[in-house]
Amino acid sequence: MIHLKINNQAITVPAGTSVLNAAKSIGIDIPTMCYLQGNSNHPSCMVCIVKNAKSGVLFPSCAMPVEQEMDIITNDDDVRNARKDALELLLSDHVGDCEAPCRTACPAFMDIPQMNRLIAQGKHLDALRVVKEEIALPFILGHICSAPCEKVCRRKQVDNPVSICLLKRFTAFNDSKNQLAFLPEKNQATNKKIAIIGAGLSGLACAFYLLKLGHNCVIFDSNSEAGGTLLQLSENELPKEVLKVEVDLIKAYGAEFRLNTTINPEIIKNEIKNSFNAIVFATGDITKSNLNDFGYSVSKTGLVADSDTYALDGTGLFACGSALHPLKMAVKAVAQGKEAAFSVNKFLGGMPVSNRYDRFNSKFGLLQPSEIDEYLKESVADDVITPKGGRLIGFTAEEAMLEAKRCMHCDCRKPDTCKLRLYADEYKIDRKKYSLGERKTLKKHFQHETVVYEPEKCIRCGLCIEITSKNRELTGLTYIGRGFDVRVDIPFNRELSEALTQTAKDCVDACPTGAISLKESNAKTERR
Amino acid sequence: MENDIIETVDRIVLEKGKAVEAVIPILQEIQNHYNYLPKEALQRVCETTDITPSRIYGISTFYTQFRHKPVGKHIIKVCVGTACHVKGAMLVYDSFRRNLNLKDNEETDADGQFTIEKVACLGCCTIAPVVQIGSITYGHVTSETVPEVISDFLLAKNGHPTGGTIPYVDSKEIQGEIRIGLGSCCVASGSSGVKEELEKILIKSKINVNVKHVGCVGICNQVPMLEVHKPGESPSYYTKIKPDEVREVIHRHFKPHNPFSRIKSNVYSFFEDLVFDSAPKSLRQYSSENTDTPVAEFLQGQINIATEHRGIIKPSDINEYRKLGGFSALSICLKVKTPSEVIDTIKNSGLRGRGGAGFPTGTKWQLVSNAVSDKKYVICNGDEGDPGAFMDRMLLESYPFRVIEGIIIAAYAVGANEGLFYIRAEYPLALIRIREALSICEKEGLLGNNILGTNFSFNLKIFEGAGAFVCGEETALIASVEGKRGYPTMRPPYPANEGLRGKPTLINNVETYSMVSWIIRNSAESFHNIGTKFSKGTKVFALAGKINRGGLIEVPMGITIRKIVEEIGGGIPNGKQFKAVQIGGPSGGCIPASMADTPIDYHSLIQVGAMMGSGGLIVLDETDCMVDIARYFLTFTQDQSCGRCTFCRIGTRRMLEILNKITSGKGTLADLDTLEKLAASTKRGSICGLGKSAPNPVLTTLKYFRDEYEAHINGHCPTGKCKEMITYDITDECIGCTKCAQRCPSDAIKAKPYELHHIDVEKCIKCDICKQICPVNAVVTK
Repeated sequence: MIHLKINNQAITVPAGTSVLNAAKSIGIDIPTMCYLQGNSNHPSCMVCIVKNAKSGVLFPSCAMPVEQEMDIITNDDDVRNARKDALELLLSDHVGDCEAPCRTACPAFMDIPQMNRLIAQGKHLDALRVVKEEIALPFILGHICSAPCEKVCRRKQVDNPVSICLLKRFTAFNDSKNQLAFLPEKNQATNKKIAIIGAGLSGLACAFYLLKLGHNCVIFDSNSEAGGTLLQLSENELPKEVLKVEVDLIKAYGAEFRLNTTINPEIIKNEIKNSFNAIVFATGDITKSNLNDFGYSVSKTGLVADSDTYALDGTGLFACGSALHPLKMAVKAVAQGKEAAFSVNKFLGGMPVSNRYDRFNSKFGLLQPSEIDEYLKESVADDVITPKGGRLIGFTAEEAMLEAKRCMHCDCRKPDTCKLRLYADEYKIDRKKYSLGERKTLKKHFQHETVVYEPEKCIRCGLCIEITSKNRELTGLTYIGRGFDVRVDIPFNRELSEALTQTAKDCVDACPTGAISLKESNAKTERR
Repeated sequence: MENDIIETVDRIVLEKGKAVEAVIPILQEIQNHYNYLPKEALQRVCETTDITPSRIYGISTFYTQFRHKPVGKHIIKVCVGTACHVKGAMLVYDSFRRNLNLKDNEETDADGQFTIEKVACLGCCTIAPVVQIGSITYGHVTSETVPEVISDFLLAKNGHPTGGTIPYVDSKEIQGEIRIGLGSCCVASGSSGVKEELEKILIKSKINVNVKHVGCVGICNQVPMLEVHKPGESPSYYTKIKPDEVREVIHRHFKPHNPFSRIKSNVYSFFEDLVFDSAPKSLRQYSSENTDTPVAEFLQGQINIATEHRGIIKPSDINEYRKLGGFSALSICLKVKTPSEVIDTIKNSGLRGRGGAGFPTGTKWQLVSNAVSDKKYVICNGDEGDPGAFMDRMLLESYPFRVIEGIIIAAYAVGANEGLFYIRAEYPLALIRIREALSICEKEGLLGNNILGTNFSFNLKIFEGAGAFVCGEETALIASVEGKRGYPTMRPPYPANEGLRGKPTLINNVETYSMVSWIIRNSAESFHNIGTKFSKGTKVFALAGKINRGGLIEVPMGITIRKIVEEIGGGIPNGKQFKAVQIGGPSGGCIPASMADTPIDYHSLIQVGAMMGSGGLIVLDETDCMVDIARYFLTFTQDQSCGRCTFCRIGTRRMLEILNKITSGKGTLADLDTLEKLAASTKRGSICGLGKSAPNPVLTTLKYFRDEYEAHINGHCPTGKCKEMITYDITDECIGCTKCAQRCPSDAIKAKPYELHHIDVEKCIKCDICKQICPVNAVVTK
């Protein structure tokens, strides 16, 4: 048995144990990418680096057997900086987007590519479920959204962007025809009650997510109808029926509307404050309301709130939408309503909702000409579909499916399991620190039935090579070249289907990044 | 074609075996046959052996020796080693590309005549820049002389056959002995031409002189050198001798039997063209009695242990080696000493590994000896890959028996019965000499069963390295012998416990083994008495670059840089200022002239940020740009990185990109900061010695020449070396000779006889030809 210290903790482990596993045995998790139990661990990623406290030498813990009297440090600044450097170097050589450009451009961070894929497969309700994860009012937005997503759609480099906005509208419209329209399952009831002042876009969106999180909502508005500024839009811009559909849905979800009720400081003080756990001001542009009189801190543009939490103070007062700053983009108001809801939830002691906006996101910008063909491998050649019934009516199901197929799958297939992203988040890495020189040209091996291989996402750990060789694949995979230009490829220029005849799934599971992934990767974690 | 491939591959497989370990020898043989690796041949190998497609691709794309595309009839190898680099190898390379009309990434010309490639180092540093076409080596090539080199090669191809036997004229009276060196540098400098001429004249004039072919004479940039030994006369040395000068040398010392032969004076220009040497034409004769001659100065201060009997001994003559004490050490060991006594002797001598890291040799032997196993191996690491180092090549070429003797002694000491000679395939002469020596040793009972009649048996085989610098790292070397990609592995386990095929393995480098027999013969104390407190004995260096007398030197540890540069090397040529030495190649660093009193030993070099490395010592003068030097080494290391660990694979590349940015005038101060930090983390975070030492050239130049980096950032390369930051111009000195205009490959200069010429900077491709040929030095860079 070997006696050693890890982070000053004395432990005893059998000889031959790696430092990585020794640490694990006492609950110290060391990040690692290229190590996989059961394979010959030949260190390459260097993310599992630790320090010998006596000599100051850094070494990869996965491949170092424990020695008597070792004294290991796994997490001081020195070690963390080395890991950070390793990750930053790996990312400087990584060409691929964690999230598609459309999704990052969307203020509500809607998972657009996933919606497209589901529509293309005819799974329209599933598509709507994905939409409503992030957007409470897709039918309305499907008419009035300025669609920043389409402006960055990569398909533009081929012909025209995918009609994302119309597709989103389609999911909602298609559902509205059902007897029982879709409403997401609610969390367990909390018996908490929130007052929302204003029934415009941000107020409605806020209510939707608060309800989803299990809270009760009462929406106050001085108008006789819900909708706020939407009520001023023409029938051509937003048919009244569309507004009604989504307001009714929120009612059906459990929101109580108190219309024709003008709120003033007295009502807040005497009635609302006492009977509600939190108040959200979604009153719209303060120059057009009486909010100036409430005695809250106000700037030139609107109420002053914490930019992260939307809280006015620590007493349960929140604000969102144009009440803070007049918004031109409807989708921003909807997004803020959602964010404010999450913040209120946290204030009320609920489980924090993961904020996906803040996650690390690798992105590489425009496609090079040769890369367009690679991306088209996942798409169809047809140009944009024009709705036969005109833009106002939107896509039929057939049209929507055809249009959705034009999406080029710019997002990564392993956004939640890619270790590179996971650790990039954990180590707060600077994506551009080493982005020098020309980026490599992207390729997609799309010929295999179930698996996609994207070499520029590979970290050259060689796990897949070992797996194919252990399983006696006929061609298997191999390293080609050496040094910076080394890549994992198929010998004799054969196809991926010949290289991975039985080990495809194993390679997908072993691959620490999105380099080898399943074509169908619909399973996405839902927001909790 | 198809059938031919099957037949050929099957024959090769039959010869090399079907095991996975045979993969590199099989590929080498296929390439020898086809000049490249045809896909069908590789497929056939996979069909008929245990070698998988994955392995054959992995291997054949890892080692630079292997080519997957057919090449031209002749391969032009442009050496881009350090010494060649500082003397303009890239300009030469560009010039070849231009002259062969190669576009973009093309490597073979339209007629399929020539294929061009860069090679890391041909080990002929003293006659840099060096180019090898086919079997002919050209030294001192410039961008301007490239067309002549090409046409000379074509002429030589169609004309004179070379070679010949050593003539011995029957006579009772031998008038004396003439010695001529036939190391690689000597041959590249035209010594074989001199040799032939010498033999021809001797036959014609019926002079009875012994002609003796010796190995490397050490003083490589004075070669070809003739030594004339005549009874009653002190020996005379003739340096930089040319074939047409041989006649006169001979006739100065010896009387011909045929009086007419003196009158005939043929100029054998063909031999002269063997190498374009810029040396002056007059005879350079030095007597051995004068101490102020270049030869004497060069030899002074040197101690010959690894290079014992330099210039005397004929490489393949085992009897002579024996006469001079060869194999007596082996005999002592096998017959008198126990293995542990041998190890103690080596321990007491203080010998440390000469491969670079300086691990105590005796301790290493002890570890292997202690390891319990049914089988142990001994490996001689001759994968000398440092650009600018040629010590091992010289030792292998000139003293093959000494190296072999050292290995056998080591094998006896550690209890190994099998050994491997790992030698770079780029060293053909070394391979020939070792192969020859091994077969002689086998015949003489020095290898094989019951060596020298004792119970000790030992077999030694050659493994040809396929071109990967990283294989100088012992674990990578073992991987490549085992038929794997040359990936270093983590230590522990150390090769001493688990090495080749999982068995205890001793790996030492050529020079280390070369010292063994001397230590045994002369006692541990004699060796221990040489050198400094922690670095004992001598070190062999390849001295090259901006130095008057470059060559192979063996000096005591602790000698100062100044002594080497100023006394042995005779200072800097052309009246230029000594600026720095680059020591230890890509793993080492640059030490500025101001620190020339630094003693050369393991400890002092590490302290100043360099390291001993394997012993390349390149002298730099005021015209060398230090940022360019750093970039040069990074280009090398990042190209040679195995690509396994993140820091080395990507870190060295990013460092190179920053250096490229700086040398093209686009760098910022923030880049310097990033570079420094990245260099530090690459040094700490890499797995093996290659990555850990790759940042040294950057770190030392940043430390000692930071002002030059800053100058580049401010848009100015102080030495005018960085091509992207300079422009060519013609000053008023121009005499209007039109030479530059005639030779300008890009029409940037218009010929205006007797007028001041002008360079169109838009058209100028900075090939440097005008500057080289201007008779009045009117072309300048700014």
